[in-house]
Amino acid sequence: MTTGTVGAAAMPAVLTTTRSRAPLGRLLRSEVRFMLRRPRTLVALGLLALVPVIAGVSISVAAGMPDQGAGPGGSAVEGIAALLEGNGLILPVFVLLLTLAMLLPLVGAMWAADAIAGEAATGGLRNLMLAPVSRARLLAVKAFGVATLCLLAVVVISVSAVLCGLVLLGGDGMLTMSGTTLPFWPSLGRVALLALLVTVQVWAVAAVALAISTWTDHPLVVLAAATGGIITFTVLNALESLSWLHPVLINASWESLGDIIRDPMPTDGLTEGLLRALCYILIGYSLALARMVSRDG
Amino acid sequence: METKKTVLSVAAAGTVAGVAGLVLLASPAGAGEAPPALPAIGADELVESVLSAEVPALSGTVAMENDLGLPIPGLPGTAGEGDIRVFTDGQGKHRVQMAGNGNETTVIDDGSTVWIWNSTERSVTKVPHDAAKGEHADKPLESRLADPATAAREIVNAMRAHSSVVVDGTARVAERPVYQLVLSPKPTERTLLREVRVSVDSETRVPLQLEVLANGQADPALKVGFTEFADGTQDAGLFRFTPPAGAEVTEEKPDQAPRGRTPEDVFGELDFATYGEGWDIVATGTLPEGALTMPTPRGEGRDLVVEGQNPLELLGSLGKQVSGEFGTGYVIETKVGTALVTEDGKVAVGFVPEQVVIEAAEQLK
Repeated sequence: MTTGTVGAAAMPAVLTTTRSRAPLGRLLRSEVRFMLRRPRTLVALGLLALVPVIAGVSISVAAGMPDQGAGPGGSAVEGIAALLEGNGLILPVFVLLLTLAMLLPLVGAMWAADAIAGEAATGGLRNLMLAPVSRARLLAVKAFGVATLCLLAVVVISVSAVLCGLVLLGGDGMLTMSGTTLPFWPSLGRVALLALLVTVQVWAVAAVALAISTWTDHPLVVLAAATGGIITFTVLNALESLSWLHPVLINASWESLGDIIRDPMPTDGLTEGLLRALCYILIGYSLALARMVSRDG
Repeated sequence: METKKTVLSVAAAGTVAGVAGLVLLASPAGAGEAPPALPAIGADELVESVLSAEVPALSGTVAMENDLGLPIPGLPGTAGEGDIRVFTDGQGKHRVQMAGNGNETTVIDDGSTVWIWNSTERSVTKVPHDAAKGEHADKPLESRLADPATAAREIVNAMRAHSSVVVDGTARVAERPVYQLVLSPKPTERTLLREVRVSVDSETRVPLQLEVLANGQADPALKVGFTEFADGTQDAGLFRFTPPAGAEVTEEKPDQAPRGRTPEDVFGELDFATYGEGWDIVATGTLPEGALTMPTPRGEGRDLVVEGQNPLELLGSLGKQVSGEFGTGYVIETKVGTALVTEDGKVAVGFVPEQVVIEAAEQLK
């Protein structure tokens, strides 16, 4: 662009950066491939795929037993469980909300812990930082890897749950919480939308975990902080006297994700939850970026 | 290092924006907005327009806050449980969706039948009613609840003879400009209430919010109103209902309503009579035999009820013992009203001080 006017002194620098930059697409692909090759990633994904199977089997077995009935004060997940019998497409909704409470955030945090703190623990991060790659770019590639795997985890659960639901529980549409029955494809659309919204929530947790990950050399610290954080937030969210605090808690909107199976679908809670997650993502990545550029090699 | 500084300031800006976004999400919308300017209107004219206004086709969300000091059985939204979504086509068809935490009760009135869907039990209750008879006299309780427009209209109509009615400026409810109609008791009325405030939509004249304020209270003891309101034609499919396959359908006659289980049942079987009129109206009745000695059911009213305790013991621990011509009973006073329950099952309730309730109980046979 301005090559003609660039001074001779600046010329080599420009050339060096240009030449050393690998294509971004290749970097991102190799990062994801690298993460997928770790046995623990595969084990985690495999176990997540098992969750819907376990839930589906236990529900289809329990269906023959006398109704225990969720009480009126039960949680959202319990209420959805009451709709599961013979209504297979609710299974992905049930399983996604169930795993969002703890499993999915933990898996996201695990990958975020591996991304920076894990590299730091094995000494790999030092090499990466010495390489002529900007720190922001390094973080972006790492964040992309974590985000892709979170999405993959949610997709694995959803696909497994849809298949299990249809095979074990049956049903060719979705009986909504409002008593209406949706046809097959719109039902699948709702499941896909929920999967997307759940992914964004997991991204939010992973973004904060990534920020913690940049501050420590021990991946266990990240996992401990994430676990402790989720438990603390759950407790805070359950305390009625702290209702003024609830709107800033990331998990405040997780229960309202169940709105996806109401008909017509109320969008307020879903939109608010999405915005809240985006705020957390912004905060998490900003803090991670700040730490990455100021961190010593 | 110029780039490092730039990156750091970007990161700082990102953090600040994220935190600001969270705070923005947490703060209620429309706070601190100036009241809208609306043409002046006289109190009588406003009341007339409210009473004569046709409810248009609309959709909205109703929220209820109560600070009565006691749980009200059967009222949806008690303890801020969930929002109530209402739809109506303006021609007698309604849809009310009461969302709980992971469950939903949907009431659909398709013009000739009221369908009540309960997601927890996957049950459908079917209540045919005579469309020609109109209005809601024979409709089940569920289809009448959660309708602030009708509730407010009935209250305005019943109370205007005993109240001074003024228009107290304008405000915004559900993002719509409203007139505030205030009914306060005439000095001769013996009541614990200070005023009833009805927010009337300036355009459709539909009451959008109802607030009940008690003496010495700054915050309303009861507030029912739309948090979202949109008028306009509604999808006809909203007012149709087909029981889903596998759902248990029971048919009931309208006169069995109000129905339900547990506390609602008890209230439903009350043999109601009223004493007095206007603001000091007292509802009296007799509880079904054994209602006071049966153990309380689990689950409902969980703030107050200790499992296994019978209602009489509960009353004893909550209320003050009084005796008179009516026998012995317990008086429970809240910010807005007083209830008297005698040991033999007579009940008197009103928005009045203790003395008026006792007077009413003495009239009971």
